[in-house]
Amino acid sequence: MDELNDQGVELYSHHGVLVKSQNQIRDDDSHCSGTLSIIEYSGIGKCIEWKPTEVLVDSETNDQEWAMVNAVGRRNRTSSGSNESQSRCRSVRIEVAHLKSFRVTRNRQQVTLMERDGTTHSVFFFQHGNADCFVAALKGNIKTVRSKKDKHLYIVPDEPESQLDRSFAELELFTENTTDVVWKFVRNLHHRPYETTLETFAKLTDIWLFKSSEQRREEEVAELLNRSLTLNETSADAIGEEYAVVDLRNGPLLPPRPPAPRGPPLSIEQWAQFQDEDGHIVEVEILKDIIFRGGVVPNLRYEVWKFLLGYFPWDSTHADRQKLRKQKVEEYFQMKLQWRSITPGQEQRFSDYRERKSLVEKDVNRTDRTLPFFAGENNENLMLLSDILMTYVMYNFDLGYVQGMSDLLSPILCVMTNEVDAFWCFVGFMDKVCSNFELDQAGMKQQLQQLHCLLSVTLPDLSAYLEKHESGNMFFCFRWLLVLFKREFSYQDIMRLWEVLWTDLPCPNFHLLLCVAVLDTQQHILMENNYGFTEILKHINDLSLHIELDSTLSKAEGIYHQLTSAICLPDVARKIIGLDPLGGPDTLEQKEPLQTTDIDNGLKVEEGPESLETLTFSPRTGEVAFERSLNLNYL
Amino acid sequence: MAKTYDYLFKLLLIGDSGVGKTCVLFRFSEDAFNTTFISTIGIDFKIRTIELDGKKIKLQIWDTAGQERFRTITTAYYRGAMGIMLVYDITNEKSFENIKNWIRNIEENASADVEKMLLGNKCELNEKRQVTKERGEQLAIEYGIKFMETSAKASIHVEEAFFTLARDIKTKMEKKLEASNPPKGGHQLKSYEPQRKPPSWLSRCTLL
Repeated sequence: MDELNDQGVELYSHHGVLVKSQNQIRDDDSHCSGTLSIIEYSGIGKCIEWKPTEVLVDSETNDQEWAMVNAVGRRNRTSSGSNESQSRCRSVRIEVAHLKSFRVTRNRQQVTLMERDGTTHSVFFFQHGNADCFVAALKGNIKTVRSKKDKHLYIVPDEPESQLDRSFAELELFTENTTDVVWKFVRNLHHRPYETTLETFAKLTDIWLFKSSEQRREEEVAELLNRSLTLNETSADAIGEEYAVVDLRNGPLLPPRPPAPRGPPLSIEQWAQFQDEDGHIVEVEILKDIIFRGGVVPNLRYEVWKFLLGYFPWDSTHADRQKLRKQKVEEYFQMKLQWRSITPGQEQRFSDYRERKSLVEKDVNRTDRTLPFFAGENNENLMLLSDILMTYVMYNFDLGYVQGMSDLLSPILCVMTNEVDAFWCFVGFMDKVCSNFELDQAGMKQQLQQLHCLLSVTLPDLSAYLEKHESGNMFFCFRWLLVLFKREFSYQDIMRLWEVLWTDLPCPNFHLLLCVAVLDTQQHILMENNYGFTEILKHINDLSLHIELDSTLSKAEGIYHQLTSAICLPDVARKIIGLDPLGGPDTLEQKEPLQTTDIDNGLKVEEGPESLETLTFSPRTGEVAFERSLNLNYL
Repeated sequence: MAKTYDYLFKLLLIGDSGVGKTCVLFRFSEDAFNTTFISTIGIDFKIRTIELDGKKIKLQIWDTAGQERFRTITTAYYRGAMGIMLVYDITNEKSFENIKNWIRNIEENASADVEKMLLGNKCELNEKRQVTKERGEQLAIEYGIKFMETSAKASIHVEEAFFTLARDIKTKMEKKLEASNPPKGGHQLKSYEPQRKPPSWLSRCTLL
């Protein structure tokens, strides 16, 4: 590329800046140190650049990839994994023109850069001093506005021209090029004010009176106008107030979010106290509460997970469990034998089996291979992973193997190390989430809908924003839900998160509140960056490995408490989190056990009486969604 | 501030699970190959800006999950795609047979005039080959699209493939532009997205 020859002029530089960037590989605790600078090139303009210094600090693990964003400057050839160290500390270059916003956090020592296309760039950590100088240098080169809603966030405002352009384009008033029309109006107004005004009014009247009904509703246009008129201020406040009136009248009133402290993990001593001499687990609810609040110490996972995943009943004795295990071992090997004894000839004539087997093979080879447990060629644990998944195919042939399942099994196998125990724990986990993997994807669709519903009552502004930006289907949360955040957290964190979720506390579908909590943290970034359909997806994808687990869990629990004590929380939302509906006569749903799981809900997406009940639900966005639902349901 | 690219092209990579879509993309966007890849869940994209005939073209390349049951999600992101790479694995007959299903999938979900190209990936594994190059060529001719055998691992033809697809889109687009408005110099174009809403089963109310 041309830029390579262009040395550029250095406008600013800061040494000893650590960088952490996400890639698809995980669990890296190493850091790359380097120099962060702002450089002006004659070709592409100003760029923010980070270049690694020779020495790497703090690198405990050896094959992880740090920092390799937009590595335009160094397109040197690498091949077949042998040069991983080379690829792990690549330089980063971000054109200043692409910069949309940045956040300064952790005592002003950490800067996260976000691009216009939604890409979140490496997080830069200033070892020496803080980021103030860099931020000042950046501000000297571009215009920035500090967000009113998120004090850590600095926005680079759009160029006024393009923003005006977009606003008019969004109005879709004219069939011709909108900007041309508007500027023609402005120009003519100057020369022939009277005629021009009348002519334009006539045009607008035409549009309003004779346009088809599918055109934008008045409010939307008003809001757009409002936005384009208050170009340089943050007009969000004003709009928010205007709409809040509606909100107060019809939407649920959420009380302030109470703090929800996390606790220490269940210790070995504590665990011993919860067992009587026969081995019964006593006071299970208190035990679960401890696990919900802090998880389990790693050494105990091997034991406790078997209960959490329903492999061992809580009220079983040592003797019961010994007997049960013997039975389960036998059962497992029986199923394993079934697929092991399929001959090549049979396989040839058994395409359904062949298909499942080939999917398992492909995924086993790419499941958490950077972990020592699964690393290297001919790793025995990979064989175990494969055998368990193949046996699961025989256990539930209809479901078979679906991508994502190997992700769910991997931490379980890592903890259990034993094939049989890992299998039955995996079965227990799959029982909780198997609707995610079904052919018609009904379970996923329902969860996305439920998430949307909870979001619309908890964060109505964000919910409305997403709808407006074609993201109301919540598809951008698909990965979170499918593998229960497996790709979003480090291995240690995911084990903690899953054991917390397996307690089924404090309510059914708590994982959806976790999604809402993450979105709560991101809401100002998404909205103030004015991210659209594409950028929203990118931003959410790029959060991977950058979500703080404990504070998010705590926030999710806070949201739960808000919802339970909300005034007029719609029944649809109440049911998702296991609360009794408030209004209406006795319905079928009330007879359901409180602990409805996703699977139980799986097939009840559109039941009759529910439609009536949703009529009472009219927070700002819910009403719109409901009207549409009626149309579609009864078409 | 000057615009940093002249055109933005949205491209898609589709094909069976495990044919190497993510690796092809990683080779093109980062010029690297990693043996420890993970399967793609859902959908994501990467960006690389290339230069063609003095024009800067920003390629936004979407990578999708291959397994069939996830198509509800992945097809939602097809709209607005201007070019599609259909990828199969030359060591996997089935992935080649499935190309016709993927073509059908495109016809149902992407705009009609999307540029397509067929890639037979993993061509460095010649000893395990199940699909001859001739069959690949034949299929491409059948559909009237271009074809290349690639190797993300050995870095064979990956650059060429994306540049070819980008060039074809550019040519087509410029032809269209000329036809619709006679050149007055310095036209800038964004990805032209058909204003189609994503399939929205969600709007069927939600709400139990």
